[in-house]
Amino acid sequence: MTEDSFNSTDSSTDRNANTDARADGGRYLSVDEIPETAPVADRTWSERIADAVPSKRRGLKYVIAITIALLWIVPFIGLVMASIRPLSEIIGGWWHLEGMTITFENYYQAWNHSTAPMGQALRNTFIVTIPAVLVVMLLGVMAAYPFARFEFPLKRTLFFLILLVMAAPPELVAMGNYNALREFGLFDTYMGLILVHIGWGLGWVVLFLRNYLLGIPKELEEAARIDGASRYQIFRTIILPLSTPALVSVAVIQFTWVWNAFFFPLVFMRSPELYLAPQALPLMRGRVQVEWGLIAAGSIMTMAVPVILFLLLERYYKRGMVAAVAD
Amino acid sequence: MGESALRVWYMTAISMDGVSKYFDAGNTVANYQLNLEVEDGEFLVILGPSGCGKTTALRLIAGLEQPSEGAIYFDDERVDGRSPSERNVAMVFQNYALYPHMTVAQNIGYPLKVRGVSPDDRDQKVATVTELLHIEDQVDKKPAALSGGQRQRVALARAIVREPSVFLLDEPLSNLDAKLRQEMRIELKRLQNELAITTVYVTHNQEEAMSMADTVVVMNRGTIQQIAPPQELYKRPRTAWVARFIGSPPMNLFRGTRRNGSIDLGEAGTVELPGKIDADEAVVETAGQDDASTASVVANSARDDVAVGVRPEDLTVSTTRPSSGNVIEGRVETVEPMGEYILLNVFVNDQIVNAKLSEWTVEKDERVYLTFDDDDAYLYDDGGELVA
Repeated sequence: MTEDSFNSTDSSTDRNANTDARADGGRYLSVDEIPETAPVADRTWSERIADAVPSKRRGLKYVIAITIALLWIVPFIGLVMASIRPLSEIIGGWWHLEGMTITFENYYQAWNHSTAPMGQALRNTFIVTIPAVLVVMLLGVMAAYPFARFEFPLKRTLFFLILLVMAAPPELVAMGNYNALREFGLFDTYMGLILVHIGWGLGWVVLFLRNYLLGIPKELEEAARIDGASRYQIFRTIILPLSTPALVSVAVIQFTWVWNAFFFPLVFMRSPELYLAPQALPLMRGRVQVEWGLIAAGSIMTMAVPVILFLLLERYYKRGMVAAVAD
Repeated sequence: MGESALRVWYMTAISMDGVSKYFDAGNTVANYQLNLEVEDGEFLVILGPSGCGKTTALRLIAGLEQPSEGAIYFDDERVDGRSPSERNVAMVFQNYALYPHMTVAQNIGYPLKVRGVSPDDRDQKVATVTELLHIEDQVDKKPAALSGGQRQRVALARAIVREPSVFLLDEPLSNLDAKLRQEMRIELKRLQNELAITTVYVTHNQEEAMSMADTVVVMNRGTIQQIAPPQELYKRPRTAWVARFIGSPPMNLFRGTRRNGSIDLGEAGTVELPGKIDADEAVVETAGQDDASTASVVANSARDDVAVGVRPEDLTVSTTRPSSGNVIEGRVETVEPMGEYILLNVFVNDQIVNAKLSEWTVEKDERVYLTFDDDDAYLYDDGGELVA
């Protein structure tokens, strides 16, 4: 029997001829009758296209989904267009495509702007964001582990307190933080801003990582205890490596949050040379007319960083998110 | 167990002395008053239904739990209160608990690594055990890439690589399919023979227990029911519960009343059991000599209500009424062909009685007579204790 003709006429007559002689009535195929590959359905092109066309209901869903996606992305396309065209062309509306000139002049000017140099502002933002993210990850997992595994007095109360703090609006906390930073002489310093971001981030990070750690089987730690590992060794060699997806998720979310934060830098940073990117953007507006091109280019540069980070870490990020919210 | 050629490690006897374990501030009794001796190099199996506390008992020996009461000794050293690493125990978990982010070699080498063994020594020992367990080709794989049987072997390798003094296994075969389980059973027994290491093995599978154990400990509801070698467990189950638990299908128990030297089983009939009843009286009399008043109270309550136990394989089935012997009358409820034998469910009085047949000789709803020898019957008092 040939491979590709499972349902062709000559093979079926073969089979019928066989069954007559067999006691099992042809219900079972002998091994040599089983084809190497799955039978190929021979359908014409028109049949395939007809099968692929969605039903009306499904088609309607697609239309709605695509519309929402377009609405969502249109402002972003406008931003990109504005950033790569001269101001004279943008004024008439970015959607006019005739006589379009592509230039990176806006990016160059924004990077070296006199009152709000984007290059400096982005560097400043990195200086604040990287420690604020790394410290939150480390402290967060160290705080989450006991909440996930150990029994200690006031465990539930403490955890409830953490959740409670998360519910407070930043505007409310800012007042107290402002006074505290002044007292400690940390006002208008990156150290002060980083500390505020760490404190603010720890709440959700502990909650998120605790949920993730609860999903790591207890047996792994028990096995490690039997194997002779100390608590610290277990944490470092078992818990930390296994938390990588969750830690990546935390890093991405915290990075985006700190990077894009406008309110905290606005309140706690006074010196213009220390300004962070989100603070610097509004300063590029210009005196006489609004410099749309510069603002657009600055915005693109600012948002590019978290987007690139997300794209690089997307695979881990997804795994971490799924595991932390599942069960 | 016999002398082994490869008696390389020093062994440890384990002893539990009145060990109890309570959870939830005493509201849950996991183990109650366990007394247990495990000899040097013995293969001891703790057998019981799920929730009987057998795993807790193992965890107490491992040091993953600490006893609420009682003491645990390794040889003459008291170990309760010590951490698992201070006891030098190795354990294989039901789901293997392999570290998913490490390769097989790293998994096996982990106990050595955390103890500060040098990388060269580590590699050499890992090579030895992987060879012993036939997984030398898998050392660079991650656990997720292994089959169930291979994972099992890696877990075993990780347990034995550091030459523990006690080897603990918690239902190690229950996640394997039947054929693999059979294979690993033989493998485990071979390994234990070669290493001659004191082993405590927990299972709910009586076949595993019977085939591997030097000694079986039967547990139920947190307490030890019986400690005996496998064959004795089958031949002389000390309580009615053990009798029902060991053997498949379980032993049939007929409730009855003792009356005038015979046992009245209600509508099912009457059986004589001469040897058994005499033995019963002998026991009561000797007890009476020690303390007459309490013994007679016990004897009175124990005397009237009894249970007669007969294993399905010891019942003979006939369609005509035998003239003599112990006869029980019933109606065939179902006939189940099992391959090697045919299982009869016979409706006797208000209970289902199992009998094994070698040939299909009766049909559903047929009236049958079940007979058994005096020697094959077990007599239990109303407390469920074996009388004779």
